[in-house]
Amino acid sequence: MAFELPTLTLDFLLAASPIFLMFLSGLVLMLAAVSPTLEKPGIGFGLIGTFLIASLGASLFLVPLSEKNHLAGTVISGLISAFGQSTILMISLIVVLLFQETSLKSKFFRGEILSLYSFCVAGMLVMVASSDIITLFVGLEIASICLYVLAGYTDPNRKSQEGAIKYFVLGSFGTALLLMGFALIYSATGLINLKDLVVQIPKLADHRWVQLGSIFLVSGLAFKLAMAPFHLWAPDTYEASPTGITAFMATSVKVMMIVFAFRLFSQGLIGAFAVWLPALVFLAMSSMIIGNMMALVQSSLKRMLAYSSIAHGGYMSLGLCALGTNSLELPLSSVMFYLVSYSLVSLCAFGIIMWLESGVENLTLQDIQGLSTKHPWAALCLAASMFALAGMPPTGGFIAKLFVFKAALDSQLYSLVLVGALGSALSLFYYLRVIVKMYMTKPHATLSALSPKPSLILACLLGTIVVTVLLLGTILPEALFQQLLKAAENIALN
Amino acid sequence: MDFVNNHILSIMTFIPLVTALAIAAIGNLRFAKMVAMAGSIAAFFASLHVWYWFDSQTTGLQFVESFVWIPTFGIKYILGIDGLSLLLVMLTTFLTPLILLSVWHEEEPKQKWFLALFMSLECGMLGSLLAFDFVLFYIFWEAMLIPMYFMIGVWGGKNRVYATTKFIIYTFAGSLLMLIAGVVLYILAYEKTGYYSTSLLDLYQAAPGIRDQMWLFVAFAVAFAIKVPVFPFHTWLPDAHTEAPTAGSVILAGVLLKLGTYGLLRFAIPLFPAATATFAPLIMTLGVIGIIYGALNAWMQKDAKKMVAYSSVSHLGFVVIGCLAVVAGGKSLSPEALTGAVYQMINHGISTGALFFLVGIIYERRHTRMLEDFGGLAKTMPWFAVMLITATLSSVGLPGTGGFVGEFLILLGSFQANPLIAIGASLGVLLGAIYMLTLCKKILFGPIKHEENRNLKDLSPREFAYVFPLAFLGIVMGVFPDIFLSKVRASIEHLASTFTNYRLEAQVLSPNPDKFTWDHRDQNTKVIHTISTPLNTMNTP
Repeated sequence: MAFELPTLTLDFLLAASPIFLMFLSGLVLMLAAVSPTLEKPGIGFGLIGTFLIASLGASLFLVPLSEKNHLAGTVISGLISAFGQSTILMISLIVVLLFQETSLKSKFFRGEILSLYSFCVAGMLVMVASSDIITLFVGLEIASICLYVLAGYTDPNRKSQEGAIKYFVLGSFGTALLLMGFALIYSATGLINLKDLVVQIPKLADHRWVQLGSIFLVSGLAFKLAMAPFHLWAPDTYEASPTGITAFMATSVKVMMIVFAFRLFSQGLIGAFAVWLPALVFLAMSSMIIGNMMALVQSSLKRMLAYSSIAHGGYMSLGLCALGTNSLELPLSSVMFYLVSYSLVSLCAFGIIMWLESGVENLTLQDIQGLSTKHPWAALCLAASMFALAGMPPTGGFIAKLFVFKAALDSQLYSLVLVGALGSALSLFYYLRVIVKMYMTKPHATLSALSPKPSLILACLLGTIVVTVLLLGTILPEALFQQLLKAAENIALN
Repeated sequence: MDFVNNHILSIMTFIPLVTALAIAAIGNLRFAKMVAMAGSIAAFFASLHVWYWFDSQTTGLQFVESFVWIPTFGIKYILGIDGLSLLLVMLTTFLTPLILLSVWHEEEPKQKWFLALFMSLECGMLGSLLAFDFVLFYIFWEAMLIPMYFMIGVWGGKNRVYATTKFIIYTFAGSLLMLIAGVVLYILAYEKTGYYSTSLLDLYQAAPGIRDQMWLFVAFAVAFAIKVPVFPFHTWLPDAHTEAPTAGSVILAGVLLKLGTYGLLRFAIPLFPAATATFAPLIMTLGVIGIIYGALNAWMQKDAKKMVAYSSVSHLGFVVIGCLAVVAGGKSLSPEALTGAVYQMINHGISTGALFFLVGIIYERRHTRMLEDFGGLAKTMPWFAVMLITATLSSVGLPGTGGFVGEFLILLGSFQANPLIAIGASLGVLLGAIYMLTLCKKILFGPIKHEENRNLKDLSPREFAYVFPLAFLGIVMGVFPDIFLSKVRASIEHLASTFTNYRLEAQVLSPNPDKFTWDHRDQNTKVIHTISTPLNTMNTP
């Protein structure tokens, strides 16, 4: 292999523009946090909003759409990168809008928080737009370290600290696993770009280090995606973190790691699928079983959603399992569809919880008894997102599940799909319990404590999300799917 | 008018949904009721249009609308109607205005949401009856659960949460198995035909091997058996019926349960004929067990509504037997039994609907449904007594009522298939007469034991207006069955004789047969075929 000296090109600048913008945002906000006159919620949120929108615009319009390496593969432009970046930025923007209604904006506001948030987003953007294992690792670390801080930042109580520490310790362990995997693969092949591995790995599929490295990589991935049995940090951390951060973790980290998984499984390690496929099948199965079973017995809403997100991680990897066979496009695009639909729905659910939480800490099922009588629209949005999470038609959740099941059945993963279906039936039970509490039980004494301020932004935002999720289940699926399919073909060809 | 003629099925299906959305936006309850009624009547007129133009001579699909909805997966939006669904569609659109009339007096503010849910339920029911694409069917079929779930859970009786959760989880779990089986079938069909399509017309071509057929059939049949419900999947039904508000019970018994047997006829039997022939004896036996078990349970009930609920289990046992009476060594279904089953579905919807209405009426007056709290109502409520007796007689299958026609045909056909089954089922007829007449006797006759019953008001004009059409129709169906059967005979005989290699053709039949969009072979483009001759048939490849 000839060594090319990396050159700085306009294409590279365009491809990396969303990343640069978010790093810039982090720096600007950090500087603003130093000055007492500028450290104000209005200014901070204004700045971060502007940067996010600019970066989103850049990811949609400036990033070149052809699959291409820049700077020796540290940054890849192309549809998959564009998909990952725009989805993450969209999620971040929604979360920032949701923050408006919480104590983060008033009581706990500190300038650094937004700076950390920007850096975190920037790290994620690096992660989804790279196939160079060193750059990937740097992006992952930037995002993770910021998240560790954000998870334990606002709340001075012990529980939050505990969650953050747990996340830090176990998260670092997951990172270490990934690093070890990278190191083993590197030492076996001498290559650091996942794309170059495509050629080398099949020749070395029996190499012990490659096999061990694949297992390490899958485990590290499972850690970060909170898949059972590597999920133990997730419920505590989700419950303890500020709800906005929980929503952010549950969605954007999934997008980041799944896009990484695309590159890993459809490019880098495709040759060694005999090693990672059984592991992934096991992870998917246990996540669907454990996530759904544990969610059944939760009384805290956030904890329930945490377990539900573990189960959804299982459904997504059900689609990833289908990558082992001949066709890559359909599984990839199905999983992307699932990601979009799941992210929207959980943002909606977490958004409602955040909004209601301004009255009560740590919302339990009991607190929302009779919610429909007091806040009918909030109840309606939450009910719609519960049905969507359960995968009932006519929501996008159903179409997503259908596509993923189809992809898995194409690869003859019958037992896995059967577990998925039984898990869905089981999951309906706990999603419905939320609806039962809101609509079919008498209000509890704590209901009067839930008197959040009405907010136009939030109402519009959540309303739009719910309508989008319904449209994804009825009119839009093809429109979105075509785009995702193009992206998937792009990565499959390269 | 062209537009209306070419899209009559979509119009009929989505009028209720549009109405539901309109109701949700309206603040005034009175106005909302009127909108709901107007919407349901509009849908009824649309169905009358279909009834009028329906060609009873052809066996194919009529009034077809088709376009590709999700081309990547070959998922299409296909609506069509044939003899199997025609009567059920009519029943749905006919019952809806009557049910709306029955809740007209409710004045609670949240009643508006009941109306909206009810109209969206109608959309779901019509959609599942008309859809000829597996995924489209599944969407309507599942979406239907949501309004029903809320109707039982919010407006139901004391134990409503338990009943409604059981109802939805039972049905959802069964349907998921069907979904998986459907996707597998779709992949099998792809291997056969070379293109992806979830259109039912293409899935009929899949003809999976015998081993695949077995488990696919089981997955489909269990999903539908839960809905029917066939013994031993029936346990959700008495709970759901007892806890549901009257309107919910009527629609549940009237249409929702029939969707299970309709699904058997539309999906399970023609898709998996070999498995059908294998499993028919088992399912027929379960049907007989259901008939007798339901009847004995009904006999023992002290609660009038529970009694009617168990009678549904019993009556649907007949329908299931009628659907699966395989004769001629597994080569065909008995046309008599199948006709009887289709007829019995309608008849059961009408007579049981009337019974639930009537039980609801006395419950509103006395706030009890216990049989021992009544007696001698014939003296105080003569019109009520007339209606109850008519509905009861129709339900037990007295000659001259619709029930007789249906049950007789089923027994006739199933005797050819398996005499033992027919004998067991006849026992059910006998038991049916016993418990239904007991119901009548305990409510209507004898001395007035409770003073409260002395001053009960007879049916109000509004109540009369929604019960009478059902009672009347029960008689008409008994005396002139041919009005209904002549429309559907061709389709039923076609299914009965060809179920082992089922073919269903899409046919144009509208006043304007010139314009017609139909092509299921082309995957990615929407092709408009112009067919000049009327009644042109496009065979499936």
